[in-house]
Amino acid sequence: MAVTSQTQPQTFSLLARIERITSNYVLRRIVKAMFTIWVVVTITFFVVRAMPGNAVDILIQDLTAQGFSADEALNQAASLMGIDLNQPAHEQYLDYLANVVRGDFGKSYRSRGLNVADMIAQVLPWTLFSVGLSLAITFIIGIALGALIAYARDTWFDHLISNIAATLDAVSPYLIGLLAILLLGVTWKIIPFSEMRGALSPGIQPEFSLEFFADAFSHVKVLLLVYVLASVGSWILIMKSNTIATLGEDYVTAARARGLSDFRILTAYVGRNATLPLFTRLAISIGFAVGGSLLLERLFAYRGVGFLLADSLGNRDYPVMQGVFLVITFAVVFSNLIADFLYGWLDPRIRIAGGGN
Amino acid sequence: MPPTLSVQNLSIEYAARRGKVRAIRNVSFDVARGDALALIGESGSGKTTLGLGVVQLLPSTAKITQGNALYHRDNKTIDALTLKGKALREFRWKECAMVFQSALNSLNPVLRIADQFGDTARAHNYLQGRALKERAEHLLTLVRLDPERVWKSFPHELSGGMRQRVLIALGLLLEPQLLILDEPTTALDILTQRNIMDVLKELRGKLDFSLIFISHDLSLAAELADRVATVYAGKIVEFADVTTTFKTPAHPYTIGLINAVPTLQGAKEDLTSIPGSPPDLIELPSGCKFHPRCPRADARCKRDEPELEEIASGHRVACWNWRTT
Repeated sequence: MAVTSQTQPQTFSLLARIERITSNYVLRRIVKAMFTIWVVVTITFFVVRAMPGNAVDILIQDLTAQGFSADEALNQAASLMGIDLNQPAHEQYLDYLANVVRGDFGKSYRSRGLNVADMIAQVLPWTLFSVGLSLAITFIIGIALGALIAYARDTWFDHLISNIAATLDAVSPYLIGLLAILLLGVTWKIIPFSEMRGALSPGIQPEFSLEFFADAFSHVKVLLLVYVLASVGSWILIMKSNTIATLGEDYVTAARARGLSDFRILTAYVGRNATLPLFTRLAISIGFAVGGSLLLERLFAYRGVGFLLADSLGNRDYPVMQGVFLVITFAVVFSNLIADFLYGWLDPRIRIAGGGN
Repeated sequence: MPPTLSVQNLSIEYAARRGKVRAIRNVSFDVARGDALALIGESGSGKTTLGLGVVQLLPSTAKITQGNALYHRDNKTIDALTLKGKALREFRWKECAMVFQSALNSLNPVLRIADQFGDTARAHNYLQGRALKERAEHLLTLVRLDPERVWKSFPHELSGGMRQRVLIALGLLLEPQLLILDEPTTALDILTQRNIMDVLKELRGKLDFSLIFISHDLSLAAELADRVATVYAGKIVEFADVTTTFKTPAHPYTIGLINAVPTLQGAKEDLTSIPGSPPDLIELPSGCKFHPRCPRADARCKRDEPELEEIASGHRVACWNWRTT
């Protein structure tokens, strides 16, 4: 009796502590995100090794074809991929995990000696810059126009914008890109596309100066335009339907009955509630955007992540592919995490239901 | 002294695919200062449309085809139906507050109760900061809520009955002369309903405002109202003080409504419902709109529509056969 009465409060408080930790919304989310990343990292490891004509064999074949002996080729391949082929699979896996945690994605096959992590670090800022800027522009235009045509429902302006939006949404981004080159570069000769290869003109250094930003912008502007045109349609249409749904809510009519100003109703009552679901979409878009656009970056010869990925796919440069996929995975999982927190912060109903505060 | 609100010859129509829905047909009534008027009728009889019309919050498909709503305060009379822009915004809530049927959804889900009081006060250049909080706390206490708890809450953290009481407190914030309550107890359980009714009765004793109480529930109207207007097919068919309405109702429809309410002592057999269903407001029946359901209908009822006629002091009925009912 004495023993139980003493241990009971202890186990109880321990359980309560575990309970408190596991019920923490933020912590639960982070653990879940890390688990997702681990699953993807693991799948990537095994898929690369399970692929027919696996990456190592192909590399060894390539190297022997270049005149290396079988042993030399094996060693070379092992060092390039950062794996010890004599190790059992589970030890290789653990090494690989440790490397990924350190941010070491191995070395490129094709660009000898270059670290995959360095290669990605070189192109990533340009993709983040172009896609981030285009997302911001798209989000603002989409919300403003969507809300506007919802207020002006069934006017000629609504019909015009809705039809343009639906058309843009349906057309492939690649086609918009081709059209942009054809019209701006060939037919009207407004943009000299040959001078716009890469993210910067030769001789311009990344620094905090007007010259640098002006040059970076002049290289990205057409790509930006294409990104915005390709995605703004769906934002407009979603915002329109959200706004119409919100306008029909009783609390909007009640706000009018309370004599609130139109501006206050538009921002705090209609706008805030109608954009809530869009913030989640925005955060998730940012995650996927890290991959850049394979086709568009290639089309505009813009050296971003998509360009690098397209290159590595063409060259069967497995470590680069693997690295890019991992970075995209991190970005998507991370932005989903941000979306969850953001939504919880913006919508009090989720905040309380989620257990966090 | 002129009445606080005088609605005269008001008609409201909705445009529908099949034709015009004649929701309100040539309705006139007065609400005197401090008076409580109950509008009683079945769903779809046009009661809510009447309320929404006064504050010009009708949906865009609705149109006021005729009439006015004269509002009187401090020796000034305005027609509420002609107000526009800023004047309309100021009229709403400061002069006439309308609390909607759907109390559960009438508060913005992403703003705290404090902010929704603040919004309302700011829109009308009313009290701010501490003074506002004190005024709100006073009102929240009047509606039997714990101000400390409610003030910082989000709507979803409150029960339906609490939200309804928050709305009533919010309705009284700017000391309006006229409060329109549209089915304030619908969708609430019977105990919460009781509580809201007690709160309303108490408020009427303590504060000075006129009340239009829209309900389908006669027993609630009996408790709260001074006078009762029975609405049928967009028209007032009987108008009397609350005692007369229940003791000597003259319109067969009012009688039907009273007989449909169960009483504590009455036998089960006494409970009768009105046969048939409310008329189609697009293709209204000829003559008296109630004649297809009326036990006393005769040839004249089918042919001509009766107008309200005064059968006793303050008691008006629109029925050809009121003497025999």
